[in-house]
Amino acid sequence: MQSELKLDTESNKVLIIKELCKSFGDNHVLKDFNLELVKGESVVVLGKSGSGKSVLIKCIIGLIKPDKGSIHIFGHNIPDLDHDKLDQIRAKVGFLFQSNALYDSMTVRENLEFPLRRHWLEVSQKEVDNMVISALEDVGLAHTIDMMPVELSGGMRKRVALARTLILKPEIILYDEPTTGLDTITSKEIIELMVEIQQKYKTTSLIISHDMNCVRMASNRVVMLIEGKCYASGTFNEITQSADPKVKQFFE
Amino acid sequence: MSLKSDLRSFLTLNGELFRFTFRFFSHGLNPPYEFAEFLKQCYVIGYKSLPLIGMTAFIMGLVLTMQLRPSMADYGVEAQLPAIVAIAVIREVGPVITALIFAGKIGSSIGAELGSMKVTEQIDAMEVSGTNPFRYLVATRVLACTLMLPILVMLGDAVSLYGAYLGVNIHTNTSFTLYWTQVFDNLTFGDVLPAFIKSYFFGFAVGIIGCYKGYNSSKGTEGVGRSANSAVVVSSVIIFVIDLLAVQVTDILNY
Amino acid sequence: MAKKIVNSVRLGIFVLSGLAFLILLLFMIGRNKSLFGSTYVLKAKFENVQGLIPGNNVRYSGIQSGTVRNIKIVNDTIIEVSMMIDTEMQDIIRKDAIASIGTDGIVGNKVVNIVPGKGHAELAREGDVIFSKKPIDTDAILQKLSNTNNDISEIVSGLKITVERVNSSTALWELLNDETIPKEIRQSAVNLRLTTSRAGMMADDLHTIIADMKAGKGSVGVLLKDTAFAYNLNEAVLKMNKVGSQADRLTNDIGTIVKGIQQDVNSGKGPANAFLKDSVMVKNLNSSIDNLRKGTDGFNQNMEALKRNFLLRGYFKRQERQKQAEKPNP
Repeated sequence: MQSELKLDTESNKVLIIKELCKSFGDNHVLKDFNLELVKGESVVVLGKSGSGKSVLIKCIIGLIKPDKGSIHIFGHNIPDLDHDKLDQIRAKVGFLFQSNALYDSMTVRENLEFPLRRHWLEVSQKEVDNMVISALEDVGLAHTIDMMPVELSGGMRKRVALARTLILKPEIILYDEPTTGLDTITSKEIIELMVEIQQKYKTTSLIISHDMNCVRMASNRVVMLIEGKCYASGTFNEITQSADPKVKQFFE
Repeated sequence: MSLKSDLRSFLTLNGELFRFTFRFFSHGLNPPYEFAEFLKQCYVIGYKSLPLIGMTAFIMGLVLTMQLRPSMADYGVEAQLPAIVAIAVIREVGPVITALIFAGKIGSSIGAELGSMKVTEQIDAMEVSGTNPFRYLVATRVLACTLMLPILVMLGDAVSLYGAYLGVNIHTNTSFTLYWTQVFDNLTFGDVLPAFIKSYFFGFAVGIIGCYKGYNSSKGTEGVGRSANSAVVVSSVIIFVIDLLAVQVTDILNY
Repeated sequence: MAKKIVNSVRLGIFVLSGLAFLILLLFMIGRNKSLFGSTYVLKAKFENVQGLIPGNNVRYSGIQSGTVRNIKIVNDTIIEVSMMIDTEMQDIIRKDAIASIGTDGIVGNKVVNIVPGKGHAELAREGDVIFSKKPIDTDAILQKLSNTNNDISEIVSGLKITVERVNSSTALWELLNDETIPKEIRQSAVNLRLTTSRAGMMADDLHTIIADMKAGKGSVGVLLKDTAFAYNLNEAVLKMNKVGSQADRLTNDIGTIVKGIQQDVNSGKGPANAFLKDSVMVKNLNSSIDNLRKGTDGFNQNMEALKRNFLLRGYFKRQERQKQAEKPNP
């Protein structure tokens, strides 16, 4: 009953956002935001707290419905899709939550198995186990497989969450503030892991952050989200050289 | 101003609760069925509540018997004690006490669990992982509550009546067989079935309110606590409201 | 995985035990309600079922043997009650069995009690109508009891009033006074008065004779010197005086007795006392009356003797004539 969605994964532009608007009451968070993501690139969206970065990324994954505008992923407009079709897109788009969102009541294994549930009828338990183990090995935490999330440190949890994002082999990974709440050394490790995965699986990354280390290390391109708009765009170096005072204040 | 906003929030709660219930019936019961999660919840909600419910039911039966005895003895109908206690336990005390304890234990735990899942984006994570969190979390819990509470009520009734048996035997010597004969002789379908049916509604109320409160928890740990708390409060009140409606309906149907 | 199996087993036991209790409960109730097991229908007709409802128990000689299935109004005075009776009673209940409606305890549910009839009728079959007895209506009994109570209370209050009246009033005692002892007393008193007046009359006569004699009037004066006659006459007069004083004393005695009785009655002394007094008094009275009679007899004898005396015969004859002369013109 669930029709297979034809995904245009060959096209160069995997994500196209046009004139995206979203407001909560009188608070206009996004006003005509435009963004295009080219396959394989890693874009960091930089902005102040409350500037609408999280709203943007949740609109992309379909958790928040925008007021206006379009978000095309693999040629499909996300706001127009019904639940089943959205799920098919989501299988190709990974999402790393700011708070990790590991299921407290499940072990690490069950957490990683969870996104595979939709495929359980087609995939044998052995294959599932292999996928779980290989995803954990990617993040270097194979030994934690039977532990509960509460037993893990903050950095380990972030890595398990990343492993859970990776298990479906996504084409695009959306990172929501991946280094928030972590110490400098741990965040650096996480960023290195992100870069490593990016290179290994050739994924396209969209990173929401206000952490300069993250921006510098992980980005091919930086987009400044100021006043609900794509205010400035360019490489890390270009942005840091900008004379615009609103851009400049991020680097002071 | 305060009264106005109180009224407003009360009406909002009613409206949203109704919409949530409607959503449960329109979306929650569609496939795919989360059967494994449902069984797990049945285990957690039903089986794990049994010791607590059993203990309170036992005490309730014993205490009720001991409290009723003096008045019954005054009227010279001490021999009717098993009958009176059986009717009280089966019709009212069993379902309501069990439901209230259940609301305290399960309502709060569902409210807190879903609240913390909401706050830590676990619900969003499920949504993104291709699992309908409403079906996975809400439907399974509501169904488990609805189906498990009547079972708990029945077991609670049994334990309660056993407690009453011990209570009867403190002062008089009534044989186990005589006690149960008196209990069964004085019960009718009109005592058992309405009580059994209303406990489904109690269970559903506890489940749906716990889920609603958790699912709509506000951000932050304070929001989680508030969800758990108000889940218990609202569901306890609703239990009494349902009880009131149930007694009216039973009355109209002449049972 | 092992953990999950244990969970399922425990969950299974939990659910099954809960349902088992429910089913047990329903089964036990159902058995009491004769829903399970085979039954047959008997009917009985009543004028008043006193709140009997379907589901009430039916007992045969006190043994639980079925339930009331339905109650149908046949016409304005007859109500038909259908009862589901356990099949095992089929060999026991006969057509002349008598059904009545009673109560389980004083405040319990209504029950239909069936008792065997006296004869040996055929066994009752499916759908047969057995006899019925007019039910003992507890309400009616209570109503009657209440009426009886009222009556008793009325009687008691009447009695109370009567006793009070008897105690407080002299009427009864006056009645007794008038009709029994007092009658006799009065009669005696009347006699006494009669006697006394006669004695008085004679005494007066004598006085007149003696005065006449003293004055020497008539033939009598001639004989005044006759001493023997004078002696006799004196003796007679003395005797007469004696009788007169005796009668006076008696009259006084009787007056005292009557007064005493009246006092007793008025002061409310018990009737026993009065009767006691009565017998004593009657005795006294009798003896007094005897005395009186004796006295009067004696007096009469004296008078007769006096009349026959030749000296006084003329005087008496004249008296007779005077009386007869006076009669025509009273």
